[in-house]
Amino acid sequence: MDDVARPGRPALEVVEGNSYSDWESVYRDNVLGLYQLMFRRVGNAPDAEDLAEEAMIHTLHTLRFPAPVHEVRSYLAKTARTVLADHWRKHYAAPRTVSDDESQAPPERIEYAPSAASASRALRILELLPDRFRQVLELRFLRGYSVGEVAAEMNVSRANARVLQYRALRKAAEVGLELT
Amino acid sequence: MRWRPENRVGRYLDALLKRRRPARFKATDEEWEAIAAASELASSRPGADLPDPAFVERLARRLRAELEPRPARPSLLNRRALLQTAGASAAAAVAGAVLDHVVVGGMVAQQAATLIPSQGSWRPVAALSQVPAGQVLPVSTGSMQVLVVNDGGRIRALSGVCTHLGCTLQPSAAAGRIDCPCHRTAFSLSGKVLDYQLPRSPGDLPEVESRVRDGQIEIFAV
Repeated sequence: MDDVARPGRPALEVVEGNSYSDWESVYRDNVLGLYQLMFRRVGNAPDAEDLAEEAMIHTLHTLRFPAPVHEVRSYLAKTARTVLADHWRKHYAAPRTVSDDESQAPPERIEYAPSAASASRALRILELLPDRFRQVLELRFLRGYSVGEVAAEMNVSRANARVLQYRALRKAAEVGLELT
Repeated sequence: MRWRPENRVGRYLDALLKRRRPARFKATDEEWEAIAAASELASSRPGADLPDPAFVERLARRLRAELEPRPARPSLLNRRALLQTAGASAAAAVAGAVLDHVVVGGMVAQQAATLIPSQGSWRPVAALSQVPAGQVLPVSTGSMQVLVVNDGGRIRALSGVCTHLGCTLQPSAAAGRIDCPCHRTAFSLSGKVLDYQLPRSPGDLPEVESRVRDGQIEIFAV
């Protein structure tokens, strides 16, 4: 397998040329990646749709065409991060440091269908958890168990299953940060 | 005790796993870390991160309505004349066609491009024997959805995403075509638009570079 990009090729784009000529080409080229970026952060479709919509609307109202592809994607990604930061701060009182990190971090590149990459990262996080934590999260996320079913499977009370789940998620957050 | 962290975060996770919008709450730093981790893990379920085609279409409509100038409304005289001469049902059909063009109009047809990732590499995706003549094999590299096609003995790789609004295409090898489940658009095994029920034709499918080496089909992808 060649691991080096072939020389002389233009930067990746489905579009012909290096600029977008209208809002439709921006939308067609980026709506999937933008939605997926949002979904990976919030984990649910209703919020991901609202956030992707807000970022796309803001971006397309700001752009003037023709617009260079790399600048559009950079601006769209930066807008997405700002929208996400506002979401966490407004609805979950996210710590100021977190929302600042979200909005000031280098914009994440918007890619097509990165589900395999995020799935392998999630599996890696689970692998690195202590046994009981891994078990409770595998039962919940991979096997779709309810808390009651987890409690029965692990022979603990429902209340203890909830505590175990919470602690496992906190540990997963810690592991995820180390993997970043 | 609903105010306990494990219960508040637990309710958040319950909503995610039921694919619902979670309730809002003022989270502590520790709770926020837990819900961020829950969101990441929930989003990594296979196929979970594909948008609902209805959302993609609805947002396109909103954008079109907000960003494109609307044509001048027909004058009352014209509307009245139309109603008098052609009857109410014909007028409704014309108005509907105009509305459909303005609000639902599809993307402008484009020539198919070749999708060449700047950081790509040749990746084996299937044995040649796995794709007999007339068959289509969907593959995902993690970053690209691709359809590997054996079109009468010629191996070709096409983007697996519809050029209209980005829905994931579904091959129908028996019928020798590739269908979009969202708007009844169909493509040939060479990526050309065969059929569409849209005001304008979507573009042909971009091709992805492919080759056969030692009995393995490889595509240039990320």
